[in-house]
Amino acid sequence: MELDTKDDEYMYSGHVGCPGCGAAIAMRFTLKALGAKTIVVLPACCWSIIAGPYPQSTLKVPVIHSAFETGGAVASGVRAALDVKGDTETTVVTWAGDGGTFDIGFQALSGAVERNEDFIYVCYDNEAYMNTGVQRSSSTPYGAWTTTTPGQDWKKMRKKNIVEALVAHRIPYAATANIAFPEDLVRKVQKAKALKGSKFIHVYASCPTGWRIPSEMSVKIARMAVQTNIFPLYEVENGNKYTINYKPKEYLVREYFKLQGRFRHLTDRDLDQIQEMVNEDWEVLLRKAAERV
Amino acid sequence: MILQENPFPGVCGRVCPHPCEGVCNRREFDEAIAIHSIERFLAETAGRYDLKPILTRLAAKKQRIAIVGAGPAGLSAAYFLALLGYSCDVFEAMPEPGGVLRWGIPVYRLPLAALRSDIANIEAQNVRILTGQKIGSEFLQDAAGRYDAVFMGCGHSRTVKLGVPGEKTNAIENGLQFLGQLRQGNTIPLLGVSAVIGGGNTAIDVARSVIRCGGKAVILYRRRRRDMPAFEEEVQMGIEEGVELRELVTPLGITTDGAQYTLTLQEMKISGEDSRGRANILPDEGKTRELRVERVFKATGAEPAEDWYNPPDKTKVSLTLSHTILISPESGPALAFGGDLTNETKSVAHAVASGKQAAMALDIFFHGGMEAIVPKLAECRVGQGPSLSMEMYMEGSRRLRNTHVVSYEEINTDHFQFQPRITRPRLLKEERRTSFKEIDLKISTNLAIREAERCFNCGICNQCDNCYMFCPDIAVIREKNNNERHINYDYCKGCGLCVVECPRNAMTLREEDI
Repeated sequence: MELDTKDDEYMYSGHVGCPGCGAAIAMRFTLKALGAKTIVVLPACCWSIIAGPYPQSTLKVPVIHSAFETGGAVASGVRAALDVKGDTETTVVTWAGDGGTFDIGFQALSGAVERNEDFIYVCYDNEAYMNTGVQRSSSTPYGAWTTTTPGQDWKKMRKKNIVEALVAHRIPYAATANIAFPEDLVRKVQKAKALKGSKFIHVYASCPTGWRIPSEMSVKIARMAVQTNIFPLYEVENGNKYTINYKPKEYLVREYFKLQGRFRHLTDRDLDQIQEMVNEDWEVLLRKAAERV
Repeated sequence: MILQENPFPGVCGRVCPHPCEGVCNRREFDEAIAIHSIERFLAETAGRYDLKPILTRLAAKKQRIAIVGAGPAGLSAAYFLALLGYSCDVFEAMPEPGGVLRWGIPVYRLPLAALRSDIANIEAQNVRILTGQKIGSEFLQDAAGRYDAVFMGCGHSRTVKLGVPGEKTNAIENGLQFLGQLRQGNTIPLLGVSAVIGGGNTAIDVARSVIRCGGKAVILYRRRRRDMPAFEEEVQMGIEEGVELRELVTPLGITTDGAQYTLTLQEMKISGEDSRGRANILPDEGKTRELRVERVFKATGAEPAEDWYNPPDKTKVSLTLSHTILISPESGPALAFGGDLTNETKSVAHAVASGKQAAMALDIFFHGGMEAIVPKLAECRVGQGPSLSMEMYMEGSRRLRNTHVVSYEEINTDHFQFQPRITRPRLLKEERRTSFKEIDLKISTNLAIREAERCFNCGICNQCDNCYMFCPDIAVIREKNNNERHINYDYCKGCGLCVVECPRNAMTLREEDI
């Protein structure tokens, strides 16, 4: 595989991410696509820990640690400060988990993109509050076990469709990406960097620890999420132009679920029901992308 | 690379039935790689641009070796012995080297230019081929003093007797001789129907040649089509060209009225199958048929033309290997037997294997005696079969490779796309019927590269960099030369992602010994 990036690395080895961490892979690809002229805004999330405590840092670019709910607001401020300095080259990136995006940081994010602040907001999605011990978020998928949805109380609500929420803001660019598809991810980050205004990228980042999967399977499972249509790769320009970027192999969703400990309790009936939900979502997306009438 | 292991890429790319493709992992994904097409392409490309191989050669040795028979086994033995530093003289009775490749296999399967090109490369390695030198049994005594070893690769050139009445008269012609006459450049116009008795490749070659000479051909085989030792692809092409196949018949007698022959055929019936799945057959008593034909060819099994070609009985044999038999007499040169004389499967690939094995065995014998041969050869094995690598024997880098044979289940097929195998361009069957032109045509460079790119590269790193890309800890190091990858054990957390994401199972993960 060859990426359309330089060989430069903007991350150091020796960070404290778990073995097989999907979020670490996501960061690595994203920074390779963005280059050195980048400032990362980090609201509370796994990456707050992975990036290391001051004066240490895992990243070779400047990092601002911020409060959980402020990803959108801090990025707006940093952007404004750079503009005052006349620095239009540097890209401001908010790098937040699903908790800091779907739940706690949602109002700041919504406000920032409503103002069409010129920054990229990346949500690396590991589908729960993993850093604090696997509590469910509004990104946790239907059917999943977490420490706050234990045993038979597994999560019975569907995952929030965050990309659609952002698309509703009519921002210039919103897209999904996945660590198992680096070329697609890098292309989308580079495209976002080149656009003015608010850009949102939703990156699927598997979590071996929280999902109860073997560390070596994290990319395989991420790829499976795309192939089963659970996490389609697509992008939306200006809130209305949909493009599906990858034609999946359309494996059955149970192939994806059976690999993960967090779904072990699901029965065949549950899986059939989930298959229907996935099919429904996929049909909706196909219609939006004008691939179905 | 190929020439370090096989002196006949042009020949094998054409006439080898490519059993390698039958075990190619890609077969389970979509279709096997067309290895033979690529092999032939490489041989042709090297010939076209006059590329000379850079072969590993060992220092010159004092021993001299005589090779009897310039067929694929003898020439391979001479070639590999030359690479190992020995000077070899090859004695050939016919006016040109090649053995069955020159005088047996029809030109539509193996054009003369392709054969000559491979042989020229063998001669370029300081192999002396003495043609028109018929060797008698006394040679083994005479060789003492002149040669330190003799390799016997005289092949099977005499057709086995059928035991049918009429065989002693000229009624039944010899198929191998017929092929030989054609390859000497004779044109033999044939009219009417020719019966060909047999079910091996020779029978198919004879029948297809008969068609090309203007006749009709009927193959008479005592078992079923699927039991035929002939390569299925050859049978299929023969039938396309108009060869008629009659299964489960065997000739009982032959009579003639001067113009035509009448064959009396015994019908056979099946009674179970043997361990290899071939039909056991019995005469179906009372059921006979007659067949009127213009000519009768026998193309049944062959045997050595002279009895002394055969390896002697077991008591005198010093060592029996998979493809070679070795004898170290108390006086006189050491003897090695190879090719059809020792091989159960009579194919060019097996003949080359016997030449290579004999060359290695003789080299080991000169240095360390008979006992050293088996253990040393075991170090040069490739895969799970008897295949040997000359590169490994010469201490090449292939020794460093993991010996594990990668199975299809170990390939990460997520990283491959379905792509059909190339279809080799061929003459139309109408063109095939009327000429001896080579059937399989050349493939373009473009096609050859596309086919080669389908290869999984099982177990061999080709610097795809998946390991490097997906490492969450940036603990895979690319060397500056870009050819090697290493793990930075100071930072690797052992997650195993690189091993799973390696498309070709070129990496392994094991627990550290503490």
